[in-house]
Amino acid sequence: MKIFYLPDLGEGLAEAEVREWYVKAGDEVKVDQPLVSMETAKAVVDVPSPYAGKIHELHGKENEIIKTGAPLITYDIEDATSDRPKNSVVGALEESSKKWDDGDVIVGSAKTKSAPVKAMPAARVLAQQMDIDLTTVKATGPQGLITADDVRKHMTSASAATAAHMAGGEALHGVRRAMAIAMTQSHQEIVPVTIFEDADISELTPGTDITVRLLNAIIAAAKVEPALNAWFDGRTMERKLFEEINIGLAVDTPEGLFVPVIKDAGAQSEKDLRKTVDEYKIAVRDRTISAANLHGATITLSNFGMITGRYATPIIVPPMVAILGCGRSREIAMVKDGKVVAGKIMPLSLTFDHRAVTGGEATRFLGEIIKQLQKA
Amino acid sequence: MAEITLVEAITLAMAYEMQHDPSVIVMGEDVGKDGGVFRATLGLLDKFGPERVLDTPLAESMIGGLAIGMAAQGLRPVAEFQFMGFIYPAIDQIVNHAARLRNRTRGRLTCPIVFRTPFGAGIHAPEHHSESTEAYFAHTPGLRVVIPSSPARAYGLLLASIRDPDPVIFLEPSRLYRYAKQEVKDDGKALPLDVCFTLRVGEDVTLVTWGAMVKETLAAAEMLQQQGISAEVIDVATIKPLDMDTILASVEKTGRCVVVHEAALTCGVGSEIVAQLAQKALFSLKAPPERVAGFDTIVPYARMEKHYIPSEKRIIDAVNRVMEFA
Repeated sequence: MKIFYLPDLGEGLAEAEVREWYVKAGDEVKVDQPLVSMETAKAVVDVPSPYAGKIHELHGKENEIIKTGAPLITYDIEDATSDRPKNSVVGALEESSKKWDDGDVIVGSAKTKSAPVKAMPAARVLAQQMDIDLTTVKATGPQGLITADDVRKHMTSASAATAAHMAGGEALHGVRRAMAIAMTQSHQEIVPVTIFEDADISELTPGTDITVRLLNAIIAAAKVEPALNAWFDGRTMERKLFEEINIGLAVDTPEGLFVPVIKDAGAQSEKDLRKTVDEYKIAVRDRTISAANLHGATITLSNFGMITGRYATPIIVPPMVAILGCGRSREIAMVKDGKVVAGKIMPLSLTFDHRAVTGGEATRFLGEIIKQLQKA
Repeated sequence: MAEITLVEAITLAMAYEMQHDPSVIVMGEDVGKDGGVFRATLGLLDKFGPERVLDTPLAESMIGGLAIGMAAQGLRPVAEFQFMGFIYPAIDQIVNHAARLRNRTRGRLTCPIVFRTPFGAGIHAPEHHSESTEAYFAHTPGLRVVIPSSPARAYGLLLASIRDPDPVIFLEPSRLYRYAKQEVKDDGKALPLDVCFTLRVGEDVTLVTWGAMVKETLAAAEMLQQQGISAEVIDVATIKPLDMDTILASVEKTGRCVVVHEAALTCGVGSEIVAQLAQKALFSLKAPPERVAGFDTIVPYARMEKHYIPSEKRIIDAVNRVMEFA
């Protein structure tokens, strides 16, 4: 049996009068269920049940006065202790045996590592609609803010189109990246014209070092037409002719295209040239080539025919003005003196920058190359 | 170290300070013989005697004036108003005199009173017992408003408030009074005033709250974690002066803010916080700041109470709304 004593119904009142019972002996009640309406000096209040269980006995009839702290109801509940309410209150305070779990309380703010992006609200909305990552947008607003205009500029710039990533794409690095940048620059600046011609190498001694032959041909042609061994600056409209001939030699590797430079090729013997070419091939393959040996070319040779291909439109890397491409030699049927004979030709493609080199200069240059190659 | 409830922590703090500072006086209705209607001052009369624990008449205006007079004479009154709903007869004393004493005397006198009172809904009480009108006092220059939300913070913040030379309105969330227990060391260590407490660190949204709503807000944060949303929970504690720096640092990180308070929405303290966010954190916000608050009605009686008090669901709905933005 558990006795529910009348609690203090309001601010220390000593007693209350039973107005109306809502339950009777034998009823099953739930916690908080209104049991009885009691009138105090201040108000009429409902008394809620503190326990769930069966009502055993009511201790008072309607209109009877019950003192605060006196028995009100006996419940038919198993409980040894019948406790007087220690905390006399108005209403009901939730009591639980819960533990207060504060965790780690930080006085002030939790330290953060990153400095998040600051952007005008309009800029944020625009970036979200256009699916743009705000961290890639350049901020020009006050206090380093990203404005809506910054987002629009980002959308229209060339880098933006590809900055919106290709699924599975990888950023270019090193040699491939350098090639992309150089070719873009070339395309933007140079005005290229390519002349195609064949050299008749039928009389060429077998076992001739073709590469060295080509290098020597370029050296000879550059003496005939120095305009193709030059640098041109389109912004300042300046052209620089060179005494020395520094031939860039295009070398293909798994990593990409390297162009080591044979400095002052004109002063080198055939043996020196061959030695340099071999050394460069190894150095490029082993990636031990120095930066100095990759700069300063005044004209370039691309012997792509070692793999395949006849003619091409090779690309000039500014500030140079000419590049000679050499395709794959082959046997063909030629017409000589009205008769069809078997012969061997080497296809040549000479690209020149028509801002700095005339057609006449280019054709004379190519003519000299062919003359040199057609010697025995 | 004992495990005690929030109301017991309040008793402990008062007992400690009365022990160590003979100028501390406790006064209020039924605080002496009865130990207070919530037993917040239980045992103090026995321990410190009737010269230091005063049962006042049922006259709130008099409680206010008496405390101010004592404070001006060098005592440190801790004056109880039985419920926040009864504080209004003392507003004249509090606003016109307690809040102005330092200014009026050019600093010669200050008013080191703590006006403490249970506040907030959720205890199934009749009318006038469920107020949350901290905004009235936060708006008054010269008053500090402090609201604890756990036994440990109740102990530390009450000590700090008693020791402060200026008047403090100390609002105790009545529905948390006996809610749960916490280990509180009775070492007399005060917690800092005028600073927020970060109760939970998160990345996606900042939840700013105080008083009894800390309970629902932490529960909502736990549920949000199940949805994969990481919420930072800040307990403001000192409503005035407001530690906006902590809130701004958090919103700069998360970009989203929901303020949760039990007090009515219009012109509640949440408005002040959101206004400052709009001014100082506009460029960090990814979504409009939201307030989850009590309705602009009188707090209903017992059976409708739970519809008034902001629920965990209302908090979670607000967070989901702000998460819809970037």
